[in-house]
Amino acid sequence: MTDQQLDVLVICGSLRKGSYNAALARTLPALAPAGMKLRPAQSFEHFPIYNFDIQNSTGFPAEVNAWADAIRSADALIIVSPEYNWSIPGGLKNAIDWLSRMKEQPFKDKPVALQSAAGGILGGSRMQYHLRQSLTSVDAILFGRPEVIVTFAAQKFDEKTLELKDKTAIDMIKLQLAAFEQFIRRVSAKE
Amino acid sequence: MANLNVVSICGSLRKGSFNAMVQRLLPSLAPEGISIKPAPSFAEFPLYNADIQNSTGFPAPVNTLADAIRAADGVIFCTPEYNFGIPGGLKNAIDWVSRLQNQPFASKPVALQSASPGPVGGARVQYDLRKAMMFLDAFTLNKPEIFIGNCASKFDEKTGELKDEATRGLLKQQLSAFATFIARVAPKS
Repeated sequence: MTDQQLDVLVICGSLRKGSYNAALARTLPALAPAGMKLRPAQSFEHFPIYNFDIQNSTGFPAEVNAWADAIRSADALIIVSPEYNWSIPGGLKNAIDWLSRMKEQPFKDKPVALQSAAGGILGGSRMQYHLRQSLTSVDAILFGRPEVIVTFAAQKFDEKTLELKDKTAIDMIKLQLAAFEQFIRRVSAKE
Repeated sequence: MANLNVVSICGSLRKGSFNAMVQRLLPSLAPEGISIKPAPSFAEFPLYNADIQNSTGFPAPVNTLADAIRAADGVIFCTPEYNFGIPGGLKNAIDWVSRLQNQPFASKPVALQSASPGPVGGARVQYDLRKAMMFLDAFTLNKPEIFIGNCASKFDEKTGELKDEATRGLLKQQLSAFATFIARVAPKS
C-alpha cells in the first residue's frame, strides 16, 4: 500500500442535478495527487426508506448491496454533502443506515474524508459534525484536518458551468486530498 | 384548557418497533383535554431531491403529512436512534416538509421521546433532532426528557404493554408538561 495508486470513492449527499456539492465532487479528480484515483459512487436515489421488516423479509435491496460492494472495494471514501436543516440530508443518512445493518459492514475501518458546500457562512459544517458522529458509530476512520468547508457557494462556482472558481477553496481541497492520501496509507491494514 | 390535538410521529417503520409501542401508549397516558393521534406515514416519501420538487411538485404523501402537522397544536416524535443520529427516513421526511411554504414546523410545539435497547436510550437522536427543529423555528419542550433505555426489558414484546411504572409516570409527566407548554407558546388572542 506504500506506492500503489489508491482507489477512492466519492459519495455525493445531494440528488439534485445542479447541486454545488455534486459540482464540488466532480472537481476532485483534477485536484487529487497522483497517488490517488477518484471515482464517483452510484446514487442512493432508489434506496427505499430503511425498514427492518424489508431487510428481514426480502433482504437487502439490490442497489443497497451494489453500493455496499463499491464501498467495500474502495481504499477510502470522500463524502461531499450539503447540509439540510442543520444536519445530514435524510437520503444520505438513510443510505448509511442501510449499510450499517450489513454483515461485513462496509464503513468499518474505512478511511473517510468529508467536504461540504453551502450557501451560507458556515458552509455545511454542522452537517459535517453530525456525519462524524454517525460515522463513528459505524467504525469508520475519520480524517481530521484540513477541513473542506466551501462557504457562500453561489459566489464560488460558475453560475452556468458550475466550475469551482475560488482559488482559496481549490488550494484547500488540494491540501486536504494530499493529506488524505498520507492518512489512508498510514491507517491502512499493514501487510 | 381548550382541547388540544397533537400528532405523534414514529421514526421507525418496523411493525414491532418499540418506539411505535410508545406511540400507541400515548393516548392512554395523556391528561384530560389532549388528544394524541398518529400522523400520516412517511414510508412512501421519495428521497428528497429539489429536482422532483421543481418538476412535479411536492409528492402527495408529503403534503398529507405537512397538512396534519399544520393542523395540529403540537407534535410528539417517538423515535429510535440510528448510528448515533436521526433515522434517515425520519430526517428525509423533515427535509421534505422543511421546503414547503407555510413551513409546518414553524412555531409548532414539539416534544421528543426515544426508546432504545441500549443504556443511553436515544439521547443522541434527540439532540440532533433538537438542532433540526431549532433551524425550523419549532418550539421544542425542554423537560422532562424521555429516554427509555434498555427498552426490551420494559415492554412486553408481544402485547406492547409497558411494564415499567417509572417510565409510565415519566411519560405522563411529560405529556402534562407539554400541554402546559403548548398553551404557553400559543399566540395570544
